[in-house]
Amino acid sequence: MSQTVSGSASGPTRRSLLAGVAALGALGAAGCSRVATASSTKGGDLLGRLRAAGVVRLGIAGEIPFGFIDKNGELTGEAPELAKVIFKRLGIDRVQPVPTEFGSLIPGLNSQQFDVVAAGMYVNPERCEQVIFSDPDYQMLDAFIVRKGNPKGLHSYKDVVAKKAKFATGTGYAEIQYAVEAGYKESEILIVPDQVAGLNAVEAGRVDVFAGTALTVREVVKKSAKAESTKPFAPLVEGKPHVDGGAFAFRPTETKLRDAFNVELSKLKKSGELFRILEPFGFTKAEMTDLTAKELCGG
Amino acid sequence: MNWDWSAVSDFMPDFWKGLLVTLQILLLGSLISFVLGLVWALLMRVPSRWVTWPVGAVTEFVRNTPLLVQLFFLFYVLPEWGLTFSALSTGVFAIGLHYSTYTMQVYRAGIEAVPVGQWEAATALNLPLRRTWTAVILPQAVRRVIPALGNYVIAMLKDTPMLMAITVLEMLGHARLFSQEHFQFTEPLTVIGAAFIVISYLASLLLRALERRLVH
Repeated sequence: MSQTVSGSASGPTRRSLLAGVAALGALGAAGCSRVATASSTKGGDLLGRLRAAGVVRLGIAGEIPFGFIDKNGELTGEAPELAKVIFKRLGIDRVQPVPTEFGSLIPGLNSQQFDVVAAGMYVNPERCEQVIFSDPDYQMLDAFIVRKGNPKGLHSYKDVVAKKAKFATGTGYAEIQYAVEAGYKESEILIVPDQVAGLNAVEAGRVDVFAGTALTVREVVKKSAKAESTKPFAPLVEGKPHVDGGAFAFRPTETKLRDAFNVELSKLKKSGELFRILEPFGFTKAEMTDLTAKELCGG
Repeated sequence: MNWDWSAVSDFMPDFWKGLLVTLQILLLGSLISFVLGLVWALLMRVPSRWVTWPVGAVTEFVRNTPLLVQLFFLFYVLPEWGLTFSALSTGVFAIGLHYSTYTMQVYRAGIEAVPVGQWEAATALNLPLRRTWTAVILPQAVRRVIPALGNYVIAMLKDTPMLMAITVLEMLGHARLFSQEHFQFTEPLTVIGAAFIVISYLASLLLRALERRLVH
């Protein structure tokens, strides 16, 4: 416990206070020198550097089945397994997981904490302003976690607004925007750290519904006796049903690495290997996609 | 480093909301810790180990486990036993309870510092026990410990961001949401950092004034 109030009666003099502030300022200025983020070569030289190091760091969000650490302490999930295959073909043998919160994935990528986001992240225009995406490797609908029997009859974002249900979703999730678009007040959304906390909020009655991707929701309610998932549905964006696609994110300067990644990815799509890699994680043929990052970024 | 003033002005509406919640937590948390701490301190003076042992055990337990663990426990585990409170109530209660185990020791010191002659005088005047406490001992004890209690208020202020972990949107919670949405971290975090300095400094000025009035 820090003692903040000094026992003496006299406060700090104005001069000592000013000196302190000046010292703080100097400290701040010294702390500002940072690692250069962009390399001088056009398109980035990360691929070369990763090949030399033999290891690539993947940012994951601990979300089953997209990217998580399994019971044996092994990195697995849709995105990491795919990354393992593709990076091996690019000449990088090992992948190293960096677990973080979903909302910290893009900031973490841009501040060099890892090289690629391998969390099955949806491609959307806001995110495209911050990072560049590979082409999506799957497409996905949304679903809700609701209490057993769906007492409020919630099947879409419209229902949530119409029935004045209490709504929750995860930090940095695309679902925040879908709910707002349907007319839900953004300040009233409960933001929880992840889907397990979301399940807990539904079970405890703090909220009526938690929104996530159909697959996440399906996986997390498996262990629950009090909650269930709704049927997957397409959220409306500008009035039209919208299908999301999940992909890998790279720093905006590293276009060379992204392009090389895309080439290998499209080979996997053509040969059907992609589906074999994703199938164990609950993906179906309906979730295979020809969408491109460009389409989902909206130009 | 890029400093973007427009991010600051965009963040301000969220900031005021967060500030309000932080101050609410601080005010209610202090109130709980002051009252509950006094209750613990008085219970510890009951001349029966059937009272002092359980109270001692509970307060030691609370004081020696991390606030963050207590927050998670109250927020995620209690609902499984059918006890559900809102995030804010849970947070306020947890922080108040946690700090009551510190303020209890402060009260104890204050009570023990009342000269033994005061007790003897109360006995000589044949004052009932209740009046001895309310009219003689506590007014002197509490007066002595106000500065020390003030320290805990400031310490509590600096612990309020922990409530973010259980989805309470206080200042840090709002700053983080804003950052994740706009991908700007420097501005909101700097703003709330400055707010913490300002609040603690104002609080310490207030406490010093109070101290001067009460003690001298």
